[in-house]
Amino acid sequence: MKIIINNSSMVPIYEQIMDQIKAQITAGGLKENDVLPSVRTLAKELKISALTVKKAYDNLEQEGYTVTVHGKGTYVAATNTERMREEQRREVETDLDNAVQKGRRCGLTDEEIREIFELIMED
Amino acid sequence: MMLEINGLVKKYKDFTLNCSMKVERGCITGLVGENGAGKSTAFKAVLGLISYDSGDITLMGKLPSELREAEKEKIGVTLAESGFSGYLKVKDIVPVMAAMYPGFDRERFLNLCRKFSIPQDKYIKEFSTGMKAKLKVLAAVTHNADFLLLDEPTTGMDVTARESILDLFREYMEEDEGRSILISSHISSDLEGLCDDIYIIHEGKIILHEDMDNLLNEYGLIKADDEQYARLDKEHILSVRRTPFGYECLTDQKGYYRENYPDIVVENGSLDEAITMMTGGERL
Repeated sequence: MKIIINNSSMVPIYEQIMDQIKAQITAGGLKENDVLPSVRTLAKELKISALTVKKAYDNLEQEGYTVTVHGKGTYVAATNTERMREEQRREVETDLDNAVQKGRRCGLTDEEIREIFELIMED
Repeated sequence: MMLEINGLVKKYKDFTLNCSMKVERGCITGLVGENGAGKSTAFKAVLGLISYDSGDITLMGKLPSELREAEKEKIGVTLAESGFSGYLKVKDIVPVMAAMYPGFDRERFLNLCRKFSIPQDKYIKEFSTGMKAKLKVLAAVTHNADFLLLDEPTTGMDVTARESILDLFREYMEEDEGRSILISSHISSDLEGLCDDIYIIHEGKIILHEDMDNLLNEYGLIKADDEQYARLDKEHILSVRRTPFGYECLTDQKGYYRENYPDIVVENGSLDEAITMMTGGERL
């Protein structure tokens, strides 16, 4: 499992860990029942506090990406494709929303924005 | 709980230590402070090397004086001003370690000595400061201890050696989740990447205890000019210091200030900032 931490980023480290593990699950690099490194192992490899790793793992479990079996380890949960699609859909929505906002800020009419959208979709 | 110190008081003529702290099982706890802040005094009191005036110390569930030999063997120690006799060589201390600690792993010790380029056939008095420091650490981690008490273990080591020694501590923790480490250092970066929680000690008192995760993610340094400082909500400011351009403020909620004062600079916090601000600044 590859994780790269940017210590000067504004994104909290536990979120960086979560994002990268989620991305690997979504992309299929991590599959159902794959075991994640132990909290101490990842803390050692990333040279960060074990509590930071634990926070990332706890949140991943809450969001349903992983399952922790006490005394055994943390496993990748069965992929909930519906939820994952829902999440991806939300991301696309946010991106589109940003694009529309930007268009309006630049003074484009809604009609012009729609034209651009249609043009992009035709490609 | 591996170690619990409650209201420990040790009075000297011109210095009083008054501290409470805990080391949980499975945790690496750091103790940081200036020279003379009381770090070594605390370590010595825990180990029963000095008497103290009042307070309670519970080490592995018992009073330190009640620990039996077999339990004491489960503690690995490096102290700032002690070490092996200079008139010995590494090959002489191997049988000493084996006799003192039934859990001593001779092979591992010798392998580590090779890895850290510590000669076996040279008098320790001829060792460099860094080599002596490394040797103390290697002896502490190779007798299957459950708890390491490390007072300034990386002093005198160059940056590469320090990093490999810190990795050794990380591996030690990875091997068994019930282990704990209490480590002091005046090099903040050593502790930032290693510890799970941290105590800052100043003039004999603990002035801050925080999870390292919180300290690095939630703490921040606000840099404000006089006008900005005047309108700043002081609710989440821990400490303030006057600077040539205005004020520097340590906060434990940088997100709050970033959101509400987008025009004011809020830097990510670091252990160094926390120390200088908590010891040098004016606490609010």
